[in-house]
Amino acid sequence: MRPLPLRPLLVRLVEDYWGILLLLVAWEAWVMANSFNPIVMPTPTAVLGDLVSNPGIYFDNVGITLMIAAFGLVAGMLVGTGLAVVAWFSPIASGLLNPLTVLFSSVPVVALIPVIARLLGYDTSTVLAIVVIITFFPSFVFASSGLRQPPPGSEDLFRVLGASRLALLRRLALPAAMPNLAIALKLASAHAILAAMVAEFLMGTTGLGYLFAKTKADFQTERAFGASLVATVISASAFLAAGWVEKKVRERYS
Amino acid sequence: MKQTLLGALGIAIFLALWEVVGRTQLLGISWPPLSDVLEMLADPGKYALFRRALSATLESTALGYAWGAGAGLILATVAHLLPILRRGSDRLAAVLNSVPSIALGPIFLVLLTRESTPAAVSSIHVFFIVFVSVGSGLQRATPAHRDLFAVLGADRVKRFARLELPAALPSLVSGLRLAWPAALIGAIIGEWFGAPRGIGILIINAMQNFQIVLLWCAVLLAVAASLFFYGLLTLLERAAYARFG
Repeated sequence: MRPLPLRPLLVRLVEDYWGILLLLVAWEAWVMANSFNPIVMPTPTAVLGDLVSNPGIYFDNVGITLMIAAFGLVAGMLVGTGLAVVAWFSPIASGLLNPLTVLFSSVPVVALIPVIARLLGYDTSTVLAIVVIITFFPSFVFASSGLRQPPPGSEDLFRVLGASRLALLRRLALPAAMPNLAIALKLASAHAILAAMVAEFLMGTTGLGYLFAKTKADFQTERAFGASLVATVISASAFLAAGWVEKKVRERYS
Repeated sequence: MKQTLLGALGIAIFLALWEVVGRTQLLGISWPPLSDVLEMLADPGKYALFRRALSATLESTALGYAWGAGAGLILATVAHLLPILRRGSDRLAAVLNSVPSIALGPIFLVLLTRESTPAAVSSIHVFFIVFVSVGSGLQRATPAHRDLFAVLGADRVKRFARLELPAALPSLVSGLRLAWPAALIGAIIGEWFGAPRGIGILIINAMQNFQIVLLWCAVLLAVAASLFFYGLLTLLERAAYARFG
């Protein structure tokens, strides 16, 4: 058996992760140089240490936030795509809805969290509503434009062959919108978990955002950063996974 | 023309529904009628409060926007000119974008001051969007164009300045447009970590003191600030596409 090619592996590792490594080393060095109290600013190794030695505390909260984010993501994408289909069927609905969605898609959503919290109450349903709203806009916008961009000439072919409007939707417009929906998924998936966390942080109910707020207030800064580290890893993985899905969908549908 | 009319009608229906739901208290006292909110916004006694909050937030947003856009543009250009750095910088940007904004607040609070934390959080949001859009824009020049430049004997620097940079302008401007609401969100979240004033502070205080109408006023101000500059940047984007698209 040949020994593992260690050098190329290291080179590859540095090439791929030099930015993140640099950031972590700079953080560690910065805390060391200023000899901060861990309450003010812990080192990345201390944060990792807390994460490894108390996995149970993180585990429950991660589960809750992850479930809300996943559920909200699916619901938001379904509502967004559904409304885009309604707008595709009816020019009047599309005329009424389009400017409103353009308006809303540039609204700073975090500003709406307190308003929604007052309407729905300070509990999980508000966190879910925020995730649905965050994911709704990209899926509506991208699905709408995708439904309207079938390959040139294909729509005429369907008309000539006497396809009904429903058949046109199912066999042409929806497949044509798939790559766009995959882009929407990529944009929304990373933000879903972060939005859920901000909402939990503001309302202090359950989940990773709550863990962050509570440990921060109790001066358990290491654990607060541990919660953020977990959220970062999940969000970055969601972004990468959605990127992979997007690639597959593009290969299949275009 | 018909589309514009329908759009205006859609917005009018939305505003009318808002007023009716507020008047009839269909959703309880947390949903005030639009007219009450507008009345408070127009109240001269509240004018100084709103102006102070809005100008503080806009200042942080503009500062974070400039820093973030500059950093994104520079890193994307460096990664384009030195392809060996490309994969690492892509991953760095993706991870920075995945850090929860509420975790950025405490970090910048130690690194900087209470006053500059909103701008710093905002700049991270802007950085990612500009980095991604410039990165993909710089690759938009077609192989035929590259070949032409090679045949005419242009060196790497000339090709970048005369071909790739102009080709990247439309997507840079699109990125700048999308980055504005993100910058505003960053500034508002950053303000929660002890900024002396701002829209984010107004929102939190109104939320905790059950000042419902004031809360809606603050939200409307944030929305207006977002829409106004988003509109301006959309116009800029159209001009860029017309010239370089």
